[in-house]
Amino acid sequence: MSEIPLPQAAKRVVPWWLLRHETMLAMILLIALIVLGGFNNRFLTLDNLLNQGRLTTEVGLIALPMTFIIITGGIDLSVGSIVGLCAILLGYSWKIFGLPLPLAICFSLLVGAAAGFLNGIVITKVKVPPLIMTIATLALYRGLAEGISQARSVRGYPEWFYFVGQENLFGVPAQLWLLLIAIVVAAIVLDRTTFGRTLYAIGNNETAARFSGLPVDRVKLIVYTLSGLMAGLSACVLVSRVTTTRSDMGIGYELDVIAAVVLGGTSIFGGVGTIWGTVVGLAMIQLLKNGLALTGVKGDATIVVIGTVLIFSTLVASSLQRRREGV
Amino acid sequence: MTTGTHSETPAAPLLSVHAIEKAFPGVRALSGVSFDTARGEVHALLGENGAGKSTLIKIVSGVFPPDRGEVLVDGRPVDLARPDDARRAGIATIYQELLLFPELTVAENIFMGHAPRAGLRRIDWRAMHEKTNALLASLEIHDLQADRIVGSLSVGNRQRVEILRALSQDARILIMDEPTAALTEYDVTRLFDIVRKLKARGVAVIYISHRLDEIFAIADRVTVLRDGAHVATRRVADTDAAELVQLMVGRRIESLFPKITVPIGKPVLEVKDLERRPLTRRVSLTVRAGEIVGLAGLVGSGRSELAQTIFGVTPADNGEIRITGQKIDIRSPAQARSLGVAYVPEDRGTQGLVRPMTVRENFSLAALGKVAFGGFIDRAAERKLAGDGVKRFAVKTSSLEQIAGKLSGGNQQKIVLGKWLANGPKLLILDEPTRGIDVGAKAEIHRLMGELAAQGLAILMISSELPEVLGMSDRVLVMREGRIVAEFSREEATQESIGAAMMGSHGNAEKAA
Repeated sequence: MSEIPLPQAAKRVVPWWLLRHETMLAMILLIALIVLGGFNNRFLTLDNLLNQGRLTTEVGLIALPMTFIIITGGIDLSVGSIVGLCAILLGYSWKIFGLPLPLAICFSLLVGAAAGFLNGIVITKVKVPPLIMTIATLALYRGLAEGISQARSVRGYPEWFYFVGQENLFGVPAQLWLLLIAIVVAAIVLDRTTFGRTLYAIGNNETAARFSGLPVDRVKLIVYTLSGLMAGLSACVLVSRVTTTRSDMGIGYELDVIAAVVLGGTSIFGGVGTIWGTVVGLAMIQLLKNGLALTGVKGDATIVVIGTVLIFSTLVASSLQRRREGV
Repeated sequence: MTTGTHSETPAAPLLSVHAIEKAFPGVRALSGVSFDTARGEVHALLGENGAGKSTLIKIVSGVFPPDRGEVLVDGRPVDLARPDDARRAGIATIYQELLLFPELTVAENIFMGHAPRAGLRRIDWRAMHEKTNALLASLEIHDLQADRIVGSLSVGNRQRVEILRALSQDARILIMDEPTAALTEYDVTRLFDIVRKLKARGVAVIYISHRLDEIFAIADRVTVLRDGAHVATRRVADTDAAELVQLMVGRRIESLFPKITVPIGKPVLEVKDLERRPLTRRVSLTVRAGEIVGLAGLVGSGRSELAQTIFGVTPADNGEIRITGQKIDIRSPAQARSLGVAYVPEDRGTQGLVRPMTVRENFSLAALGKVAFGGFIDRAAERKLAGDGVKRFAVKTSSLEQIAGKLSGGNQQKIVLGKWLANGPKLLILDEPTRGIDVGAKAEIHRLMGELAAQGLAILMISSELPEVLGMSDRVLVMREGRIVAEFSREEATQESIGAAMMGSHGNAEKAA
């Protein structure tokens, strides 16, 4: 009974990749770039674009593990607070405790990872919903940062420390290399490894993933820890760029990060999403902000435009989804 | 293109469907299907999963339009562009998943969208309750009150609410899609009473079911579909189960339970005094290589819980498990898998399959270790694994990239089975392996079980279907209240003896089928 003929696959009028959310978004981005470039001749210059890359690195580094987390159907709202906590601990462990700066950097990365690990362990072992756990630690980590800093800032870092945040390497902002490497690694991990496949399986059907013997809890623990670690890295890059440490650093990052991820087509319900989408989402938000600012649009109007773009892209995505499902 | 076996109908057809064609991208769902039904007739639609029954009833209930052909009510063509059009034509459909509002009352559910109005378009609550009571009385339903919250009702009673809802809209044609799938024996009897009352009132009922015995109990005529085409329409009185199965499957099924006797080897699974309260209590059992052990019991007797404890989903508190003689403390499904244990769970949709993922991804899900090297998935190896599985299990799919959830139940089950066999297990635990799948797929899965046992696999099969337990098992264990209460050899096992053990000493042997 193996000679049952397989029905022919449907003929597609439009190639599948053109209908992908990421492709559509990239096209919208391209159009926006051309329009904004037409308004302002300072916008579409290499210098400006590279500089925008520099500015988006801190959010971008966090958006990569956030893509993983949202694909599993989770969320991490505490990343902005982890940035603040790590920045403060970087400054304090160097200035007040007298650690050598490289060790202080390691220490702050470690704290970031530990903060993420705490999120992960409570979410997987105590089964607290990620939204609730990370809202709690959003407050907790920010509170710690403010408590430790007592509203004082740390500055006067050695000159070499500013390299990552302010200098160029082969003509490209140094931190952008960091982001590019992270993007490539994240994309490969998500697309090609069993780890990435497990993320999708968890997001689509956690029970079935568990019943298939996939290490669901371990994978979740890893992504939340990774999220904390990358928030720590982001803190170091941020301090290096702005040369000072304050406890209010990273406030609101969680929303920028989630906006970029979701704009990039990752489903907030889990199971769907790509790193490329997140990258396009990041570029879109940063370039819109910059392009509108250069064209003379005020800050609050920029937010309105970004909100509108987010809604619009969600509409496009859901109509594509319906089309794919042939309803 | 109706067949010549049409017998004259009792009266002029109330509903007739003429030469319906419908294609979806890549699939020809219906090709020239015609059938009709008269006032007061129960007309059964029969066919395997994927035969086109669902598509046909969706066209009749206005969910989507046909590509070609027409639907006539009282001999006049009707345009069923939307579900609302069907409702106005007097057609109501009761789907398998009931579409009720669990937080609202019986009366509110019945009159949702067409509540009786008083002045200023206010809802006339009194009239609504009176009408509900009248409906209840007309079907002689006495254990349902108009102000009960629907969420607190049994499945059978919820279904009655749906039927009342259809009647409140003056439905003359009632379509029921596998109405007994989730019902208890008692509720099935009551459903049949209601169907007979509707029949007496002149309502035409289109009844879809896999269960042949129900069709013989309730239907007047039966139409068989296969691969989207009309195969035959017969009067129920003029046919028998064997003929219907043959029409449905398109070939003779020689034996429903192709049990092969194979030499039985060493013990693969030995469980001693296993405990996980409340539903696994000091359970001991052995399954040997080449042996199929049936595990019977009522729903809630602890069979699935036992399986999940052995598989590490809910690790045991006490007792020991030996796999091929080695004592092992299984703490997780991943560990069980690496020991060669496979578990095909009861609930295909939530436990077995990741429905939004592709056929390829589902096939490799439990065997990622086989197609990955250093954590990297080898795409070619994965495609080969999935492709081999599709061939071996004759999964009907348009491609490996098809979304698994869109396949029929039987094909989904083959994927779940296939994904576990890809790992080359020593022990296979099957939990209701053929629930809700059609006769053809069922026979294939049974045949496969026989082959696997012949290859030396140890199989523990949980089933609520006694003929399946009797037909497939070398030995039968019976569970009740978390304990194994009886064991029968293949020769000793009968419906009566197993049924009595399932129910306890005071119960009666329940006749299945």
